[in-house]
Order: sequence, then structure tokens, then C-alpha cells
Amino acid sequence: MPSKDKGHSAITSADQELVLSSLEPEQLAGLKKHFIPRRHLRGFEKFVMWSLRIYLLFMMVVVIYQVWAGLH
Amino acid sequence: MGAGPPSRLTPQAVTQEDVVITHEDVDRAHDRVRVSEARARRGTFSKFRLLWLLVGPGILVMLGENDGPSMISYAATGARFGIGFFLPFVILTFCMAIVVQEMTMRLGSATHRGHAELIFVRFGPFWGWFSMIDLGIGNFLTLITEFIAIRAGLGFFGVPPWAAVGSALVFLCLAVMMHRYWTWERTLLAIAAFNLVFVPVALLTHPNWHSVGHALVTWKPLPGGLSQDTLIIVLADIGATVTPWMLFFQQSATVDKGLTQQDIHLGRFDTVVGAALAAIAAVATIIATAPLFAHHMTAENFQGAEFAQALQPLIGRFGAALFALGIVEAGMVASVTISISSAYAFGEVARRPHSLNLPVTQGKAFYSVLFLCAATAGAIVLIPGLPLVYVVLLVNVVAVLAMPPALVFLFMLANDREVMGDLVSPRWANILATGVVVFLTLAGLLFGISVIAPNAFGFLGGK
Repeated sequence: MPSKDKGHSAITSADQELVLSSLEPEQLAGLKKHFIPRRHLRGFEKFVMWSLRIYLLFMMVVVIYQVWAGLH
Repeated sequence: MGAGPPSRLTPQAVTQEDVVITHEDVDRAHDRVRVSEARARRGTFSKFRLLWLLVGPGILVMLGENDGPSMISYAATGARFGIGFFLPFVILTFCMAIVVQEMTMRLGSATHRGHAELIFVRFGPFWGWFSMIDLGIGNFLTLITEFIAIRAGLGFFGVPPWAAVGSALVFLCLAVMMHRYWTWERTLLAIAAFNLVFVPVALLTHPNWHSVGHALVTWKPLPGGLSQDTLIIVLADIGATVTPWMLFFQQSATVDKGLTQQDIHLGRFDTVVGAALAAIAAVATIIATAPLFAHHMTAENFQGAEFAQALQPLIGRFGAALFALGIVEAGMVASVTISISSAYAFGEVARRPHSLNLPVTQGKAFYSVLFLCAATAGAIVLIPGLPLVYVVLLVNVVAVLAMPPALVFLFMLANDREVMGDLVSPRWANILATGVVVFLTLAGLLFGISVIAPNAFGFLGGK
């Protein structure tokens, strides 16, 4: 196991032991790159997400209109 | 390896050869050892110590959201509408914030992944980028308003705008250059506690407690009925308590702090205490500016410091100065938390190191994003002639409009058994969360109708 954190002081074996005994595996910064599978979206979920996306885009147009009207 | 039970995300075949231990890990491990020691001991003192060690993200996110634009929104609310409708309404919005933020804390504790990262990996880059664009735009606009608040608050003391913005950026640098999550969190908590300065300001106005109690119990109708003006204030007050950056911040801070499944019940306590403290400050601000409503003073053109100036004849120079300082504190703390929320999200998506335990040399991208966002927002505030209060209220409105899509991601993740295991949301939490989504969507739609068809609310007694 590499014992150095690049560009910084060496990590001792006591540090390693401390980390491995007190952190859960997925808390380690180096292990967060492990793959998590993509979720399969169901039809209803896609419908809700698209509906809210359209809602947001429409409301942003409303806000921009509100700002434009306020400035004029 | 590891102290707690493995989650659904635990890699199946991790060997010690796979692991590169970083200083970020070592710092977090030291924090976890203290938690384990406090948990292992018996006695009241140890319980309080455990509580002290675990609270933080919930209180910070709630007091952080009592930011410059929020306090100005509350001040505008008190000055324009008094206390009748809005005191219980603001408390309701904080209840909504608890429902939402509890889910982020639970997600962070169960998965040890930030919100942006989970959205990207579970829903894919298409939805991930939508979410990031919402967050980026929302955070940047909100950051601008934090600097507006700082500029306005310090303006009360005669500080020129450039010096106000410069000092805020220096504060931001000092706040994040501690290279230790724990130190940063405790320092910011101490500063955020100053948000309660609005309580003595409210007391200085000698409020009629009978009226306050009556307002809290009876919940009077919206003054003047539904209209575009009242809806902007209603949405601004909702946006003052529930906004997308809070979701990203609390989940990432929970991960950075190292909370685990064992800590969830105290994480809930942290969130509720934070909401209670923030609600007290918000209610106090409305009560503090309510005399302006009672004296029929117009709040149309108030900026943060102008509220303080308007209050000065009623509460004296000292009270007005406290009010202005409260606005400055709100802007300063939120400028730190919001910048960090952007930097966390960037790091999670770009797969770059992202932790407040990182030294600058190892977190160049993280700290660069943080400072760049803040410095650009600060520079924009120096543009002369910006309609500050209008910008502030509109930014809160935009935050409310962006919440329903953000909440759907949160809702789906919190119910995702593949990542949450047995920690998926219980039925009651799902009912409450659905209620919040429906409420926010309807509030946004009402605002949209008021803009497109301003006379549509006439039949409801509005304008």
C-alpha cells in the first residue's frame, strides 16, 4: 500500500492503522472512485422529471419577463 | 477495515493494496476516534460531548440560509405586511426545510457521497448536468445577493462598497484556509450564532407580545389578498428557507465531517436545532421591522442598511447598528457556505479532491472554484445602479422555482434501496416530502399566473 500522500509529509503506519480502523471503507477518499451502477428510470419517473424541467424553464421565462417589465 | 456496518455502496473486493490513504482520511479518522470514544463512555457529560462533536452541518446550513437576501426578505415582510400572516408562515417554511434537509443528512450518512456525485452516478450525466446548471446559476445569483447584503450592511457604518466587498473576500479566505473541516465548522458556527442578534433588535422595538402570540396562534389571512407584490414576498420568504444549495451543502458537509449511519439520530437533532435557531432569528427580524408597517412607512426602496436607518428613530443608533451588523454577518456566513457548496459539487462531478481537510496544494481546483465564484459575484456588486432589493427578492423567487426539480432528485435518491439499503425514507417522510414539492410547485405557478395575468386574483380579493 502506498504510504505517501503526494506533495505532503509522509503518512505513518500508525496513521494508516488509525484510518483503516476508524473509517468505513467508502469513507476513504481513494475508494470514492469505485463504480456505482446507473439507475434505470421508469416511465413515470421520466415523466415527472421532464415535467418539472419544463416547469422550471417556463418559470424562468416568466421571471425574465418580470424583470424586463420591471425595468420598463 | 472500518468501524461501522458496510452500506450498499461498499466495494465488494477491496484489498489494502487498493487503498491510498490521504491526509484528508487521517484528519477525518481523528475526528471519528473522538466520536467513538465519546460514544463508548457512559454518563451525561459524554452524551453532551457526543452531541457537541456531531452537530454542525444542520445548524450551519440553516443559519447559513438565514443569509443576506433572506434577512432582507424578512425585513421587507415585516415592514410591508406586519406580523399577522407571516409569523406562522415562516415557521411553516422552516418545518418544510427540516423535512428536506433530514433527507440530505440521511443520504450523506448512509452513502458517504455528495449530492452532485450521487445524481451523476445514479441518473447519468444528462440529468446530472441539468442539476449542476440549476445549482451553478442559483448559487452564483445568490452569492451576488450576499455581497449586496454585506455592502449594504457595512454601508451603514460608512464603509465604501469596494472595501466592503474586499473585506468579505478576505473573510472568505481566512475562513476556508484552516485546512481542517472541524476547525472551519466550529469557527463558522461561532460566527453564525451572531445571526441571533436580530432577537435583541426585536426586543428593542418593544413588541406587543399579545399581538405576536395572537399572530402565531390565529394565522391571519394574507394582507391585501393575492397579488403579484404579495406573492413575490411569499415566494421570497419560502426561498429564504428552502433552496437548492442547502441540499448540496448539507449532504457534502455530512460526508466531509464523516457522519455514519450510527449518527443519523443526532444528525436529525442537529437539523431540527438549526431550523429552530434560524426560525427564531427570522421571526425576530419580522417583528423588528413590523413597527415600520405600523407607522405606515413605505419599504419600497429599502436596502439592507436602509432598514437599519429607518429603524434608528425607533430603536436608537445601537439597535440600528446591531441590525446592520446582523445583515453583514448573514451575508458573510452565507458567502462562505454557498461558495463551498459550489466547490463541493464541482469536485464531486469533476472527480477532483474536495474537502475542507485538504491543504491548498492538494485541493487547488476545489479552492480555485470557491474563490473564483465569490470574487466574480463580489465584482458584480460593485456595478453602480443595481436595483438591490429587487434583485434580492427575485433571487429568492428563483430559488423557490428551482426547488421542485431538485427535490425530485433528492426524493428518488432517498428512496433508492440500492444506495440507501434499509435507510430509505419511511412512508411519513415521503408524504411530507411530496407535500413540500406540491406546495412549492403551486406557489411557483401562482407567481407565474400573477405575472402573466395580473388581474387573475381579483375574484379572491387581491389586486
